[in-house]
Amino acid sequence: MFERILRLAIVLAVLGALYIAFWRLRGAARRNADAPPPWRDTRILVIAAQVAAIGLIWSAADYLWANFRARTEAIGLELNFDFLDQPSGISIADSPLNPNAAIRQALLTGVKNTFLIIIVGIPLAVILGTLLGVARLSTNWLLSKIATVYVEFFRNIPVLLVIVGTWTIILNAFPPERESWLPFGGSFIFNNKRFAGPSIEGGDNFGAFQVVVVIALLVAAAVWIWRSRIFDRTGHPHHRVLYALGSFVAITGVAYLVLSRPFEVTTPEVVDRVYIGGLKMIMPYAAVMIGLVLYTASHIAEIVRGSILSVPKGQVEAGNALALTGFQRYRFVVLPQAFRVAFPPLINQFLNFTKNSSLAFAVGFAEITGVIQNLFGQSRPAPQLLFILMITYLTFSLVLSAIGNLINKRLQIVGR
Amino acid sequence: MKRIRSASAWKRTAGAVMALGLIAGACSSDDGGDGGDAGGGGGDSVVSDDTTADAPDETTADAPDDTVEVVQSSGGRLASVQSADVVNCGGNDGLAGFGIIDADGNFSGFDIDFCKVIAAAVLGDAEKVNITPLVAAQRFEALKGGEIDVLIRNTTWTASRDGAEKANFLQTTFFDGQGFMVRADSGINTLADMANTTVCVLTGTTTLLNLNAVLGDQGIPFTALEFEDNAELQPAFVAEQCEVWTSDASQLASFAEGLDVETSILPDIISKEPLGPVVADGDTEWAQVVNWAVMATIQAEEFGITSENIDSFNDSGDSGIRRFLGLPIDDGDGNEIIAEVGLGLPTDFASNIIRQVGNYGEIYERNLAPLSLSRGPNALWTDGGLMYVPPFR
Repeated sequence: MFERILRLAIVLAVLGALYIAFWRLRGAARRNADAPPPWRDTRILVIAAQVAAIGLIWSAADYLWANFRARTEAIGLELNFDFLDQPSGISIADSPLNPNAAIRQALLTGVKNTFLIIIVGIPLAVILGTLLGVARLSTNWLLSKIATVYVEFFRNIPVLLVIVGTWTIILNAFPPERESWLPFGGSFIFNNKRFAGPSIEGGDNFGAFQVVVVIALLVAAAVWIWRSRIFDRTGHPHHRVLYALGSFVAITGVAYLVLSRPFEVTTPEVVDRVYIGGLKMIMPYAAVMIGLVLYTASHIAEIVRGSILSVPKGQVEAGNALALTGFQRYRFVVLPQAFRVAFPPLINQFLNFTKNSSLAFAVGFAEITGVIQNLFGQSRPAPQLLFILMITYLTFSLVLSAIGNLINKRLQIVGR
Repeated sequence: MKRIRSASAWKRTAGAVMALGLIAGACSSDDGGDGGDAGGGGGDSVVSDDTTADAPDETTADAPDDTVEVVQSSGGRLASVQSADVVNCGGNDGLAGFGIIDADGNFSGFDIDFCKVIAAAVLGDAEKVNITPLVAAQRFEALKGGEIDVLIRNTTWTASRDGAEKANFLQTTFFDGQGFMVRADSGINTLADMANTTVCVLTGTTTLLNLNAVLGDQGIPFTALEFEDNAELQPAFVAEQCEVWTSDASQLASFAEGLDVETSILPDIISKEPLGPVVADGDTEWAQVVNWAVMATIQAEEFGITSENIDSFNDSGDSGIRRFLGLPIDDGDGNEIIAEVGLGLPTDFASNIIRQVGNYGEIYERNLAPLSLSRGPNALWTDGGLMYVPPFR
């Protein structure tokens, strides 16, 4: 009841204020012949339009929310998040998640799986897309046509089809587990259930070695900056890749010897359907990853191509005049300028990639959408779960665009 | 001048409309707010649409009002079925053996046959049925809304469906349970052999929960590969991405029919899934009619009466059989009496069922034997199964 009175009071107050303002302005207009009448006075019209717009949006949202609340109360649905502590009952492939663990843990596993798709997939898509974009502009007829066919093929079919298609091809092209394909003397395992490859396993001093690796990375970064400064100051060749890599390898190599083999390389092995050693991934993950990378790369290729074409022709001609090789021209003249143009639309593609990863559940990879779909089926409250799902993707997207904008700012030409 | 005046009139009108909009917005939110505060009044107006949809007798909406009263007091579904001269059944159209539709639009299957049993009992003609194919999510709504008279669509009897879904489950016609299907050459014969296998299962099902619970309790490690749809699950099983496919045992048998690979179903059943006909709550008379019609098939098998040999029972001396088939009984004084049990069914309803559709065993053989589903718990109680019905007297 109190709420109702409050709402009515707010509306009446707003209307009253408008009414008084209207008549006062009208009176002022009558006294001063130069002033426009209030219904033609932009000052009042602007305010009135904004109040009306806010009022309409507010009342529409309020109406929908009231309807929603009436329905949820009618069916006795509680809109709290207590259910997150109940056992989920679900399991996720190749995850240590216990079915008796709380729902929040199942959701976290889903978020982790989504993250695993994004963190590996986006760099791969950028690399493949850049190669394709450059290939489309190549003077080599065959190369440019192949790239054109690729781009036109992948960017014109729905991404779900690409993912399910990739999955189907892998499913039928790779052998079943008992007849696994073991290339490189068994260092890799490929079958239609899992892919596995060599990995490293920590030994006694692995913790100490990891600290050394971090230090080595910092040293390498310092060396890189030092060499760049020398180049900027004197113009001598910087060779910063060589220097940085050299210092990194030297430090870690010494540490490896001093710490007496802190890690060992293990190759995977399947014994009675159990994968021992190495690094493994389930096939649906690989299928989703490959499908999304193939699809997104076709879009990135077009962005790259467009931005390369946007670099003024004079720049290329200047590069030629300096007798730069084709690679040097791209590396030092064209691509740095093209990348500046390409970056903002690339961020869009990263966001699309993130959102498209939600299609993974179609082929049985349990990322966050899949986990939440599963929980829907177990009679868990849909409104709250949908809210969590939206917040998750919103967070991923906002973080990605924040990083992107940061890089973009640094890329932009300063001054001018 | 005139133009200016009309413009200002337009603006005044627009202002009034805006003000009305604001007030309307405030009022509509008042309605919702009331639903929250007072519980009754305001909230009801918002959900009133659903209240009518929940009423169990919407089919009779076209009939006069007094008929609706009859429906509520003493059943009336039986009367409306008899006057419509057709039984409306909700069924499945995509599960071989239970309910499937052929190219000509004809339904067949175990569940469909029980619909015909009801028609034979009530209307005397097994063909007077009208099957409405329903997906799982629609089935209870169709039943509650009165679009169908009876739901026979491999529906599991559970407490929440009996309660919250306002459904009335009758005699179980098929005792199902969650089973496991493997390739015949997989070497997996028991649950313990499933250690470290990958199990294909549909996401968001109780099947997945049962799988996790039972294998978890037994300490059998496995990987669950969860699919949204059987369209992806089936090729994954065929390509051996998963060694095991879990679902209701009867469904597995049905799916196995469509596969090119040799499969076998493990003997272990890890859940109870009793399937049977369902009617809406609130009409006991109709529920009893459906129930006794279905149970008559089981009683007939117990008596050994089939559609083939039923005529040989015309001279039977067994008073139980004579009563069951609606045959006259000698009262000792030379008068022949036909027993009337008062269910609202014709006295020869059992005879009609057996002649036109067959007994339980015949229905089972006709539909489920091709799926190589053994009788198991669906055998008669006299054979160690669960099929036991009350006496027909």
